[in-house]
Amino acid sequence: MAEDLNWAIGGEAGDGIDSTGKIFAQALSRAGRHVFTSKDFASRIRGGYTAYKIRTSVDRVQSVVDRLDILVALTQRTIDENLDELHEGSAIIYDGERSWEAEIPDEMTAVDVPLKSLAEDAGGAIMRNVVALGAACKITGFDVEYLDEALEKRFGGKGSKIVENNKEAARLGQEYVEEHYDLEHLGYNVDVTDNDYVLLNGNEAIGMGAIAAGCRFYAGYPITPATSIMEYLTGRIEDYGGHVVQAEDELSAINMALGAARSGARSMTATSGAGIDLMTETFGLVATSETPLVITDVQRSGPSTGMPTKQEQGDLNMALYGGHGEVPRFMITPTSIDECFWKTIEAFNLAEKYQTPVFLVSDLAMSVTEQTFEPETFDMDAVEIDRGKLVDEDEVDEWLDSQGRFRAHAVTEDGVSPRAIPGTTDGAHMSTGLEHDELGRRTEEEDERVQQVDKRYRKVETAQNDEDWDYREFGDEDADNLVISWGSNEGALVEALEYLEEDGIDVRVISVPYIFPRPDLTEEIEAADDTIVVECNATGQFADVIEHDVLTRVKRINKYTGVRFKADELAAQITERLSEEVPA
Amino acid sequence: MSSDVRFTDFKSDKQPTWCPGCGDFGTMNGMMKALAETGNDPDNTFVVAGIGCSGKIGTYMHSYALHGVHGRALPVGTGVKMARPDLEVMVAGGDGDGYSIGAGHFVHAVRRNVDMSYVVMDNRIYGLTKGQASPTSRSDFETSTTPEGPKQPPVNPLALALASGASFIAQSFSSDALRHQEIIQEAIEHDGFGFVNVFSPCVTFNDVDTYDYFRDNLVDLQEEDHDPNDYEAAKKVILDSEKEYQGVMYQNEDSVPYHEQHGVTEDMSEIPDGAPDDAMDLVREFY
Repeated sequence: MAEDLNWAIGGEAGDGIDSTGKIFAQALSRAGRHVFTSKDFASRIRGGYTAYKIRTSVDRVQSVVDRLDILVALTQRTIDENLDELHEGSAIIYDGERSWEAEIPDEMTAVDVPLKSLAEDAGGAIMRNVVALGAACKITGFDVEYLDEALEKRFGGKGSKIVENNKEAARLGQEYVEEHYDLEHLGYNVDVTDNDYVLLNGNEAIGMGAIAAGCRFYAGYPITPATSIMEYLTGRIEDYGGHVVQAEDELSAINMALGAARSGARSMTATSGAGIDLMTETFGLVATSETPLVITDVQRSGPSTGMPTKQEQGDLNMALYGGHGEVPRFMITPTSIDECFWKTIEAFNLAEKYQTPVFLVSDLAMSVTEQTFEPETFDMDAVEIDRGKLVDEDEVDEWLDSQGRFRAHAVTEDGVSPRAIPGTTDGAHMSTGLEHDELGRRTEEEDERVQQVDKRYRKVETAQNDEDWDYREFGDEDADNLVISWGSNEGALVEALEYLEEDGIDVRVISVPYIFPRPDLTEEIEAADDTIVVECNATGQFADVIEHDVLTRVKRINKYTGVRFKADELAAQITERLSEEVPA
Repeated sequence: MSSDVRFTDFKSDKQPTWCPGCGDFGTMNGMMKALAETGNDPDNTFVVAGIGCSGKIGTYMHSYALHGVHGRALPVGTGVKMARPDLEVMVAGGDGDGYSIGAGHFVHAVRRNVDMSYVVMDNRIYGLTKGQASPTSRSDFETSTTPEGPKQPPVNPLALALASGASFIAQSFSSDALRHQEIIQEAIEHDGFGFVNVFSPCVTFNDVDTYDYFRDNLVDLQEEDHDPNDYEAAKKVILDSEKEYQGVMYQNEDSVPYHEQHGVTEDMSEIPDGAPDDAMDLVREFY
């Protein structure tokens, strides 16, 4: 494993923490280094502690660790919040000219740089964070040229003067450190490679996946952390003949998306937290009217307003069971940022093939993390589109009843009916949330009711048999210890394997991207001596599902602090759990 | 689009279960005739129906249709029109569906000026749930849930529309068949959100806002020399609490519908067999 470097900038919301961090992440990515970022932020626009952290290595990194090497601290709280992760070799960049007296532990290296004054020399105090980036380049021996490229990308649209000023600010930071400090003893070494990586977060991957999949309509209502999907699509989807509507609320958003889907467009809505509660009202209608719709839920800490900017995987039950009555549906969960792209495409295909709602359930950790990938990871040529049983006007005739009426909900062997979209001659029909007959007309006849309920669930059975619901696997296939997870914990688990291996503990990791339908893990669990289910919630919602499936008790690791799992922490917890008795 | 469409083509073979004498019969007839008269046919028409007596209209008419969740018909219609600007979209609901649970959506659909017609069957009562007060019930209207009346003023949907920036506001009476049809036709032909509040009496639960009441009290704006393009004149009749009017109160001649404002012209249902040709550009953005 190559040496990785952990860098962070922290201050108050409104200090430009996020954009500064993104610039540095971009610079490292340009240098052919892998990057994995994380954010500490609060639900406010100004004030309060916020930080942007980067872990970078020439090898792939897919998790955060409990370690911080270089910290740009704009406030004392930034230092205090990160004391646990700082170590003797850490360097802390701060501005001693500012009104606070930085308290930096003796064993660490304090690098006092007059950020504000130097920024003013370069053309404006606003660039003080860029001065700090220049200083960080010097401390780590990272070539400032890459930072220049990132500054060009970030400020290119604002004119060459702004770009030049920013480059100057970076230079001044670099030179100041060079003149005033001898930091050879820190021994940081940031190698570069010739690789070209792309840097994106999970929500961007979902947005890009949607466009690739042919999604043309999106309706949503701003809510943390789902908003950036809408922001990504806005201004891009139009280039492909699509449109984004910012609806008045989530009730409206899901119904707009439903209307577009009934008209034959691939359409999506995305939300989080209370937004998914509101949309619950329409789940049954989507399923009963047999409308192909992708409903994305980027989970955050609940219940109620909870912790809007914190990580949690607490909506599994909601997505799996939400809505009154019995609502057939699919639920799929990307396990990594690149999978956010592929699973979105899969969601659209499943929705149209089986004419049913598909819940695409992501989580906050993935949504705000930027990670590097080889561009081929998102090979657009590999994207396949399956529109299912769409019928044209010639095919409609096969599905008319004796009186020439289109059987939109025809009872078929696989449970999937023909789908005629508006404009198709002779295909006119009504769809409804009322129980209906084959023609879509209200019925309360017992036989017809049973036929339609069975038909809707038969679609799910068909999918269960016809589609690939496989899990992803890491570690030692023959290990006695099995760890199961869903969602974004995969990366931390994969890295935890390295720590466990060092301790001589063999573990098989199964990462499950399909919650419903899902792989049957009976054999895998029976073959293992010990099974642990890892998830970011208090009650172990996925563990409950698995116990229900295999009728055996599993051990659980639950984290609900609002912070994602870290690889080293996870390894320690797995070790501890393995030594415990299985719950009775 | 066939030119020999008759209004009966918009009729399904399902017999309405409305009470005999319900105003919704006349409302629906006018809608079907207006759709046929404006050159539409069932295969290119999308009707969105709300929940309640009025919502049953989707079943009794023949076209592409969705009968959805209570109060959310307008958002569905918006999604249909955005995805398929080529379709004729008509949304139908009642006063409860539109001005109570759906009031928020009403305001915003009006603001967006989506190119569709919105026909509200206003009977000033909740009929399907058997006679409770509605948002347009009079403040002294006694019902099972308001024994002494709601004691709050009714919603003025026309004023709500005007205040929300409506480009077309009209009112009709289901029993005045020809005028009702004409007004719906104007709403269909209007480039933008064509809002029509239709007095559609409930003969079972409302003995105040009856056919006789409207016949005796309805003033037709056609006979009043009203200019619907005159905003101030529109405001005057809409805010006139002394009289009930029939006709087009307001029409903004410069109305540009939402999809045109946003440059949405394509049929979104047509997509390539794989990712779009230049989709790799999206990936390159992340370098």
